[in-house]
Amino acid sequence: MLAALAVLAPSFHQGGNWRDILVGNAPLLLSATGMTLVVLTRHIDISIGSQFAICGVVAGLLAKAGLPMAAVAFGTVGAGLAMGGVNALLVAFLGLPSIVATLATMVALREGLRWATQGAWVENLPAGFQWFGAGQAAGRWLIVAVALAVFTAMAWALTHLRAGRAVYATGSDAEAARLLGVPARATTALVFVVLGGLNALAALLSAVQFIDVQAGAGLGLELKVIAAVVVGGTAITGGRGTALGTLLGVALLGTLGPALTFLGSHAYWERALQGAIILAAVATDALSGRGGSSRPVDVSPESARAA
Amino acid sequence: MPPERAQPWGNSSHEAVLALIVLGEVVVFSLLGTNFLSLGNAAEVLRAATPVGLLALALTPVIVSGGIDLSVGSLLGFSAVVLGELWRDGGVPLGTAVPLTLALGAAAGALNALLVARLRMPALIVTLGTFSLFRGLAEGLTAGVENYTGFPAGFLRLGQGYLLGAIPTQALVLVAAAALYGVLLHASVAGRALYAIGFSPEGARHAGLPVGRRLALVYVLSGVMAALAGLVYVAYLGQAKADAGTGYELTAITAVVLGGTSIFGGRGTIHGTLLGVAALAVLHNGLRLADLPTEMAGVLTGLLLVAAILARRWLAGERTTT
Repeated sequence: MLAALAVLAPSFHQGGNWRDILVGNAPLLLSATGMTLVVLTRHIDISIGSQFAICGVVAGLLAKAGLPMAAVAFGTVGAGLAMGGVNALLVAFLGLPSIVATLATMVALREGLRWATQGAWVENLPAGFQWFGAGQAAGRWLIVAVALAVFTAMAWALTHLRAGRAVYATGSDAEAARLLGVPARATTALVFVVLGGLNALAALLSAVQFIDVQAGAGLGLELKVIAAVVVGGTAITGGRGTALGTLLGVALLGTLGPALTFLGSHAYWERALQGAIILAAVATDALSGRGGSSRPVDVSPESARAA
Repeated sequence: MPPERAQPWGNSSHEAVLALIVLGEVVVFSLLGTNFLSLGNAAEVLRAATPVGLLALALTPVIVSGGIDLSVGSLLGFSAVVLGELWRDGGVPLGTAVPLTLALGAAAGALNALLVARLRMPALIVTLGTFSLFRGLAEGLTAGVENYTGFPAGFLRLGQGYLLGAIPTQALVLVAAAALYGVLLHASVAGRALYAIGFSPEGARHAGLPVGRRLALVYVLSGVMAALAGLVYVAYLGQAKADAGTGYELTAITAVVLGGTSIFGGRGTIHGTLLGVAALAVLHNGLRLADLPTEMAGVLTGLLLVAAILARRWLAGERTTT
């Protein structure tokens, strides 16, 4: 599948507006990196779209309150960590199935935000908010640099740190990991909190690109992010996948829209093509001997239960 | 085997709690709202609940068998748009366009069935893919803006008419679908097989059950029901747009899980699902009539969902490993 990406990729790159694509997809990359951790532990989080909207509004309100950008960033990421903490509590400590727990927080958070804001956008943001006050040219590169730096750090931590390997161990077999002394429960909690933080950072990097903060931001983000992770080769059954794969998944799905436009087709076919790519990616994975796994991969219907 | 598996059909204490919740909602909103406790409003609740109700019915056996179908909301929209396209642009009479749309639903369900039941790919990912695909096809066909309206009155009666003066037409569709699914799940050999598959697909296979064919059946049926929900939706609102039914899959899953079906499969009932649908529908309608912010419904739904699962586990002494 990675080979297929390499073949497909060049056509997206010619004549495309590289910079806009990079800036536009930097937030997606951060959310997808966090989601990779969660999927690796055999869980899923569908509440990140709602979290994304809340974090964007929090960022906007804090900025409007006159706080310096550093404090705004702290507050936004803090909000994300807290919401990730709620999911962590429900999944890791109360033992609720992650798809149900995050379905509940997704609905509750989205509607709670609409209740609080009545759908109003955060407008009249201070001048220092957009592009972090660095001007459009520098701000763009700052966004890309932050996203890539965080991504690189996470990718490194996933393979080199004890906590990173615990993520793989937990996702492969939580019970076995626990017996081996890996703190499976704490690891599960950690990945949800980390996803909350990364997703909040994504919301911030996205919010500073516009003059207003939309209260309806991030609708459907969860499915786009999960799609990027899965297309990147991470097994939904946990324990198998890489951050680099997710980067490629984001690159492929994120460049689809611009590529369609450049190829003279219409952007409203983008979603259909995205769906076809997801199906092709899993089908390839399922048919080609379940791709280079280090453990027997379970793709029977019961595997979906784990997710 | 955990002992409570001995009776996968019944967890009557859970359903009793849920019935009490619905009853509680009715009592509270009768006190708070104006015109809540009236025949006309009951009909209105039924009308609004039918599309999601049909999807929730379709999802119950899917989830009981240990799978999931995220594509139903998108397929609802796709079906709605195809119906509009066939009838208005294709000049196909509705008498033909309606069966064609249902056939499209069956074909779309068959695609899910092929990938999940035959190729044994994870249902979550397959239907996430078709979730994008079907919505994308609807957007592509309509260029994202086309809105089909002006359907003939005979067709709109399906969504806006009354039978015997008081019963909304689509309620009949919902009842018929519920009866069909009730028989399938609770009174047929195939239904028993679905519980067995949801509880342990490997065990079911070793026991000689036709796992692939049983799974294929529920996914194809799910496609047909999504198309049917699309028809009812169009007849109710009188318009077909590409965004029809957005997010319905999650509302339907919420209703199913609220109704006591285990997201891990192997347990669940049709009457539980109907109670789940009722709990959500009454909540939305009641909040609106009581002049309370409708956003409360979402927050309450989330709380209710978590509470329902914890309560069920507490009642049944069930333990789920993470």
